[in-house]
Amino acid sequence: MSMSTQENSVTARLARWALGCAVRHWPEETRPWGLALAAEIDETASAFETVRWSLGGIMFFLRSVLWSGWRWMKLPAGGSLSGGPEGPSMLPKRSRAFTAAVLAAAASLLALPEGREAIRTVLASWQEYNWQDYRQSDSDARTLERLATRAGKEKDASTLAFVALSTTDPKRAVELVEHAVALDPGLIWLYSASSHRPNYAPPREEWLARLQAADPDNAVPYLLAADELDPLRICPLYQHGILKDAEFELVESDSKWMGLMERGFGAPRYDSYVQKHYRLTRTVWNRDKNLSPKIVLYGLWYHAIPSLLNLRFFGRVKIHEAQKARAAGDLSRAESLLGEVDAFGTRMADGNGDKIEKLIGMAISRSADKELADFYSSRGNAEEARRAALRVEQIDERARSMRPGHDSATRSQAQAFQWEGILVQGFGILGVIAGFAALAGMLLLELWPARIRNAKTIWRRALCWIADYAPATLLVASAAFLMSFLPFQHAFTEYRSSSYVLANQERLMEALGDLHGIPDYVMGVNAHVLIWAFVTIALTALLLFVLVNGIFRARHAPSKPA
Amino acid sequence: MGLRIRLSKQTLAVLDALLGRAGQWQHGYSLSQSTGIPSGTLYPILMRLEKLHWLETRWEEAKTRGRPPRHLYRLSGTAREWAREEIRAAQERRFWKPAEHEA
Repeated sequence: MSMSTQENSVTARLARWALGCAVRHWPEETRPWGLALAAEIDETASAFETVRWSLGGIMFFLRSVLWSGWRWMKLPAGGSLSGGPEGPSMLPKRSRAFTAAVLAAAASLLALPEGREAIRTVLASWQEYNWQDYRQSDSDARTLERLATRAGKEKDASTLAFVALSTTDPKRAVELVEHAVALDPGLIWLYSASSHRPNYAPPREEWLARLQAADPDNAVPYLLAADELDPLRICPLYQHGILKDAEFELVESDSKWMGLMERGFGAPRYDSYVQKHYRLTRTVWNRDKNLSPKIVLYGLWYHAIPSLLNLRFFGRVKIHEAQKARAAGDLSRAESLLGEVDAFGTRMADGNGDKIEKLIGMAISRSADKELADFYSSRGNAEEARRAALRVEQIDERARSMRPGHDSATRSQAQAFQWEGILVQGFGILGVIAGFAALAGMLLLELWPARIRNAKTIWRRALCWIADYAPATLLVASAAFLMSFLPFQHAFTEYRSSSYVLANQERLMEALGDLHGIPDYVMGVNAHVLIWAFVTIALTALLLFVLVNGIFRARHAPSKPA
Repeated sequence: MGLRIRLSKQTLAVLDALLGRAGQWQHGYSLSQSTGIPSGTLYPILMRLEKLHWLETRWEEAKTRGRPPRHLYRLSGTAREWAREEIRAAQERRFWKPAEHEA
């Protein structure tokens, strides 16, 4: 058959070149057929025929590649290992296709939104977190910086505020607070929420003065300003338990501190902006669900509230003053002072504060009511004395109901979180080990078949066993990991969706505490003990094995002929 | 030999073309021309027939320098009977009929 005059057209040459490429990469098993097809291309009568023939060849090549790939997948990993002393019996039992399907199933489980959240949370719990030095891990710091950069570009004040309260970089925190407040003056409460940290020195006095001007009816800016004067002043006074008159006088002589505390106690409202902080956190987390709960909740853990010790102490100063007025016969002043303390404690207990603030408010109110009950009964005012005593009882009842684990439902939920935390961590570790083992086993069998073929039987058998069972273990561990994480995921979802944040916050903190407790225990002070205990047990087991094996061999050794 | 397979219309056409010049070696391109089957379908059919031992193959010596050797095909002796039977059965079932120019 003669060749066409068009055989050298660009299209025909391109078609020949493409077929040539296909033949060069043709799978070995069907390569002669590829060569046979390619050899016929010179017989085509026109450029159109050449292209048609070449296209058919490429289709055949693709089919051959797929067919060859499927054949390869049907073989077990390391299918080229047949030359070993034990032959094919020393290959893994499962085909590559089966193993790939199992690994794909495990990957799909972990790729679900719940799976991704579980991985993020558990990985965050494994990262070293230096709570004492207020230092975040590098990856958390990078995540927050990315958020801040994006928010800066988009002029997103709430995200800037969130990062400002979550970062442990003091300089950056100050910059971000200023930036966020400049963008949205409604975020002025950030001046109060940035907590005291050893390495963190924001311009607190200036900030609190601005906040006092913006929110003059709130007690918290005054109380925080008082704390700024000398936050550790009260601690030594409490060291010996009972306060003496001289110590009261020492504190009372500090007119600036007393003045600020007085204004705080007299302010008509108590709001430490915790609720605003919760709402801000929830908004940002809902917008960026990929954030790990550890990053999200860090800022809340360090939300600044007035010194509770100072509050208790000032309450006692006022009660002490009332006792002195009562002793001096100024009963109306005594009654008025006790009423002020009681009113402040009630405002604090009913205000927008955290649980601990409410409990302290109740404790302050209780001290004043107890004193009032005694005051009224000594004056023969039985009705007022009964009312004050009733208020004490009501406070006690409310405080009992707020204590963690006060009822069986809360206790059982806390225990359930503990168990689920252990399960999540356990299955997470098992999944990681199984994943690495599967990867290592498959790679060794696929990449170094010659070395594996020459390896000792025990190693080869171990590799085959790993290639067979590690992927299945990974799948089971992934499913169990996901299932055991569901209660935590539910707590996160509830937090993000509910407006009843205080109760959910507590539940979430409890859940995270249980989840983080195990790695903190393992990687904390007990790490060295655990590692040495493990090494000692492993060495003892090895020694015992060698001894028993030696004794067994000595007893069963054939006796030498004389 | 002796394996019965489900034959497609294209396979029957190839068998028919091979039977048309029974005993003679044929090239892939000429089979494609006579049956109108494109190369991407023809070669998998030839490959399958060879695997079933219905087809004999050999490489032809290159007639022109610089050209690759060509592959030749013909039905094996016993396969010819099988092929005729299959074609007859397919025609009776009206599953397939030879192209007009072949008929």
